[in-house]
Amino acid sequence: MRLAHLWDQSRCIGCGACIAACNAANYRSTDEPNPTWGGLQTNIKRLVFDRELKPYMLLVQCQHCENAPCVAVCPTGASYIDKDGLVKINPSLCIGCKYCMTACPYGMRWLHPATGLPAKCMGEECQDRLRHGLQPVCVTVCPAGARAFGDLDDPGSEISKRLRGARVVRLLEYKGTKPKFFVVVGR
Amino acid sequence: MTFQEIWSPWLIGPFLWFAGIAGMGSVAYALMKLFRVEEKLRELALVIFASTVLGLLFVVADLSRPLNMPSAILSSLAQGIFLAKLAQSWMTIGISLLFLLLLFTLLLVLRHTVASGLAKLTDAKWFLALLAVVGFLVTIYSGFLISSAPGVPFWNTALIPVLWVISASICAIAVLKVLVRSEAVTHLLTRAGLSLDVGELVALLALVATPLYSGPQAARESAEALVAGALAPAFWLGVVVVGALVPLALGFLLLKKEDRRLGMAAAACALLGALILRVLVIQAGVFEALHL
Repeated sequence: MRLAHLWDQSRCIGCGACIAACNAANYRSTDEPNPTWGGLQTNIKRLVFDRELKPYMLLVQCQHCENAPCVAVCPTGASYIDKDGLVKINPSLCIGCKYCMTACPYGMRWLHPATGLPAKCMGEECQDRLRHGLQPVCVTVCPAGARAFGDLDDPGSEISKRLRGARVVRLLEYKGTKPKFFVVVGR
Repeated sequence: MTFQEIWSPWLIGPFLWFAGIAGMGSVAYALMKLFRVEEKLRELALVIFASTVLGLLFVVADLSRPLNMPSAILSSLAQGIFLAKLAQSWMTIGISLLFLLLLFTLLLVLRHTVASGLAKLTDAKWFLALLAVVGFLVTIYSGFLISSAPGVPFWNTALIPVLWVISASICAIAVLKVLVRSEAVTHLLTRAGLSLDVGELVALLALVATPLYSGPQAARESAEALVAGALAPAFWLGVVVVGALVPLALGFLLLKKEDRRLGMAAAACALLGALILRVLVIQAGVFEALHL
């Protein structure tokens, strides 16, 4: 099993519902700032590229890499790849050395001010939703259907269907991390 | 451009500095003992033990979950994860090496203070060889640890471990110059220090020049910050002038005639420059920019 995220840039309307929902579900709607990224405490980061004639926006989050640097560098095994292919954190093994944060080429971990954990997608609530057969909250709330989540090894999964025939970009692929966050840029 | 703020330069920089002094200081202790230079060994043992302890305090101060550290490491050990991680993570290797160095340097301090009976153990050739190996590895591992963090391209260079060894060797020589008074030994230290100062200048040039002309964008931004940006005054004045050129110039003067005051000044400059170097390398880190 290789669970993965897809974000369709061509469908996204930039409403920010996924960001707000992540904050609400995983961080109890706190309005305390994210000390690492600024803005809300959420696992999704919005990057805006103001390029004169062709501005664009990118929503990024943990890429759940198959060759995850954060997992490799972790001294105690607190960061690990689970059987479902998702990169997760075992809080009881985390010493807060932040090596995973400097190792992530995507900068997709942020330091939770209360727990000291290097937080990332998926949050606790989303993991609980998966255990109950539900989709991550960002996928559920997206009004434009710009998000998909599922098993890459299952040809019938929503994500596999949407990846077929789509023009897809994987971020910083040359780093050799084998990211499982797919950005659809067109058909 | 934003510098990385994940590892505090003012905590990790001093940690790297103390680890270098403790590491190459241990190598110096072993060499002095093996070559029967018995002067000021007690003081040197105290310096390397204190450096190890201070280094550990600084690195623990940068942890975001320090209270969880003992149970997390013990739990990881009990599950066999920690041992497996030795083949994968420089941090795991570093934790193990620092623990060993703390133990070895504590034995040295005890041998020179309250438990002279330990001399049988600590003066044994195998112990001294082990001390030197662990000291060297403590110095070099932290360089590999930084250069193996793929998030910050400026750090991803083979030069950092090499620079760390050169710079920490300069620090160990500086400590010995302060402690030792024998003219024969200080003259040897002056000559060794001169060669290392030249080596450090070459390594520093390569560290900033390579990313300036051929590195990824983020690495280039880091190098530009050091050479001509926000960190340039500290880099040129603190690292290049005070840390390398002044000790080099004083070294040439000392070659002609040893002078304790000049030697002490060169040592102080070299130590200060090594500290500023480590702080700046950590501070200059910039994350790769994401784009389609």
